[in-house]
Amino acid sequence: MTTETGTVRGVRPAGNGHGDGNRTAAGAPRGRGPLGRMREKRKQAAWGYLFVAPAILLFALMGVYTIVYGFSLSFAQWNGFWPEWHWKGFKNYTDLLGGSPTYWPIVKKAATNTLWVVIGVPLLTVLVAFPLALVLNSVKRFQGILRSIYFLPYVTTGIAVYFAWNYILEPGGAINLLLKTVGLGSLQEPQGWLGNPHTALPTMIVVMVWSAVPVAMLLYLTGLQSLDGSLLEAAQIDGAGWLRSTTTIVWPLMKPITVVVILLNVRDSLQGFQSFLIMTNGGPGDSTSVLGLETYRLAFLNELSPTLGLASALGWLLFIAALVVAFINQRAMRRMG
Amino acid sequence: MAALQAAAKKFTAETGTKVNIQAVTPDDAFLTKVQAAARTNDLPDVLEVHANGDDLAFGGAGLLEDLSKDVDRTWLDQYLPQVLADGTVTEDVYRNSQTEGSKTQGVEKGQRFSVPLTVGTQGVVYMNKSRAEEAGITEAPTTWEGFVDALAKIKKAHPSNGGMTIGVKQPSTALEWLMQPMAYGMLGKDRFEALFGPDAAKGWSSADGQKVLNTYNQVTPYWVPGTQSKGIDEADLAFAQGKASFDIGGTYTLAFLAENGYDADNLMTFPVPPPKDAAIPRLQLSPFSLTGLSVTKKSEHKTEALKWLKFLSRDGIAADFGKQALDVPPNALDKNQSKTLGPVLNSMETAFGSGAKAYNAGYTAYRPSLYDPGKVGAVLAQFTPLKSRTAKSTGAQMSSMIKSYWAEQKK
Repeated sequence: MTTETGTVRGVRPAGNGHGDGNRTAAGAPRGRGPLGRMREKRKQAAWGYLFVAPAILLFALMGVYTIVYGFSLSFAQWNGFWPEWHWKGFKNYTDLLGGSPTYWPIVKKAATNTLWVVIGVPLLTVLVAFPLALVLNSVKRFQGILRSIYFLPYVTTGIAVYFAWNYILEPGGAINLLLKTVGLGSLQEPQGWLGNPHTALPTMIVVMVWSAVPVAMLLYLTGLQSLDGSLLEAAQIDGAGWLRSTTTIVWPLMKPITVVVILLNVRDSLQGFQSFLIMTNGGPGDSTSVLGLETYRLAFLNELSPTLGLASALGWLLFIAALVVAFINQRAMRRMG
Repeated sequence: MAALQAAAKKFTAETGTKVNIQAVTPDDAFLTKVQAAARTNDLPDVLEVHANGDDLAFGGAGLLEDLSKDVDRTWLDQYLPQVLADGTVTEDVYRNSQTEGSKTQGVEKGQRFSVPLTVGTQGVVYMNKSRAEEAGITEAPTTWEGFVDALAKIKKAHPSNGGMTIGVKQPSTALEWLMQPMAYGMLGKDRFEALFGPDAAKGWSSADGQKVLNTYNQVTPYWVPGTQSKGIDEADLAFAQGKASFDIGGTYTLAFLAENGYDADNLMTFPVPPPKDAAIPRLQLSPFSLTGLSVTKKSEHKTEALKWLKFLSRDGIAADFGKQALDVPPNALDKNQSKTLGPVLNSMETAFGSGAKAYNAGYTAYRPSLYDPGKVGAVLAQFTPLKSRTAKSTGAQMSSMIKSYWAEQKK
């Protein structure tokens, strides 16, 4: 124990950043020269590595290996069963980006639909979540209960919810029934809201916004509750009304949260596909095909065709697109500020 | 599952060999599981596969045993002549496997990777018998015009649920199960196959192609609302629940309808009929193997696995299996054995034919090997039921897609 304590003491001066190697060496106990300290440092480092090893190993296996594997696959042709990959170089990428008359039209259509989703979902989420958070913040009673109610869509199982939406949106579903009941029968969608190519994608965007609002609303609510009340009081004393103080004081202060909400939703919109797979399968026709869904189809729903490499390449293109969109988004928000 | 388990019980009683059966559905989950099992050397001894599909792809990848030497003439003699070659690498299959991007790469001519378990065909119309009788229809339509007339009469009598459904959420259904059999009957084998051929002048924009599309369009008023957003199972369920009076499927649809409570006695079934002036009037459907059984290459119980396959192929066992599973067995059953299958399966069997005058949905060698029916079907869905394309633009788009598949193949 004594030796251990002495070692710690001996090392500390150097660790304090005095940079006086001689003093440290002189202050060290006998037999604890530079070599001893080095050994001790190594021992400490070994313990450190030992503690982080499980996490590193796990990341190496689940993260690095799969990333490298997936990236390599994007240059190959494989159906998941062949014993070997067939190397194709950049052909998968060039095929997806205009080189193949078979795949390019699919990617083009899916990219256009994805663009609408990427614009629509984050924007609408902010437009719904922020006012909702404002209202909820001003409610004095039952705020906890109301917050839980508004948060429910997020904690409900996705698959079940998507099936429920399917029933709601059917020709004889709740939406059409509601419209008829309130005398708006002319607005009914006789083929169902997912059955008409003109309404299917906007409807899917609404469903995605419905799922995204709870988290965004909660983030805004947290932001609103941590606002310094004296700022608003000062504004009110200066004669600013509710609308004025909300738009000129509260909204600008919520900008970091808005950036996070938009970024999260851009990512989800670019890569998410589960709701599309379950609710529309990209249809009717190809009106709701999105890039995430096409990636999944190329990988797993292509009747054993060797398109896993193409799927991987499309996945990487999506990743690059996500990076670019995130970068542009951040720059734009910074400029706005 | 229950039918296979019952057969397994008999097999164990006869040979002492136990068979454990595991069902994995849907298709994509099955494929993922096979893929994972193959990579961890954990495949079962026997796999049930889509015949002329999974079997050839798995076989080409080296996962399945080549059964060509084990399946001898005596074994084959039990099957319908139309399905004898199913599961084997024919000249067409081999040629397609040589194409860049083909899923069957690696196969060799003459190999056999499966033996048939169930047969059947697409292009079977299921009509609600009692509603048909109410509308004065007592016999199954034999022409396209008669079919459209039946649709109109029943729809008139039942405006809210008199229509037809098929599950266009998987858009290949309407193309392959409804339009193609009608087109085959209308044009005959060669002109039908030319629609998918490399010569665009004979494709979907040609007079033949436009005639097919315009005739097919006659069913547009009779789709059940929302058909385009229903999957196959959802469409079958809608029919079983009385929300539709017609359901287009295959022989395999019967089992699903029965499972979901539909009374099989209330069914009138018939093959999708061709028009009056068709090249092949009274079109029949050629059965093909829907599923087959394969032995995995690394199986340690190859002898027992082969015995199990042989056991299931026996007439008596196959007839019992078919009856219990409500699936058509691949055997050339005699009249008495056929009777045990029940009236509906029997009526389907009588719609079976062979040769160039029967439409064989399982034969696809005339199409480019990279052809994707889902993508082409999605274009057709825009024509009907969606009505967002004309026959002309649908034909042009389908032709252009088929041209691109041929272009890819020739690269």
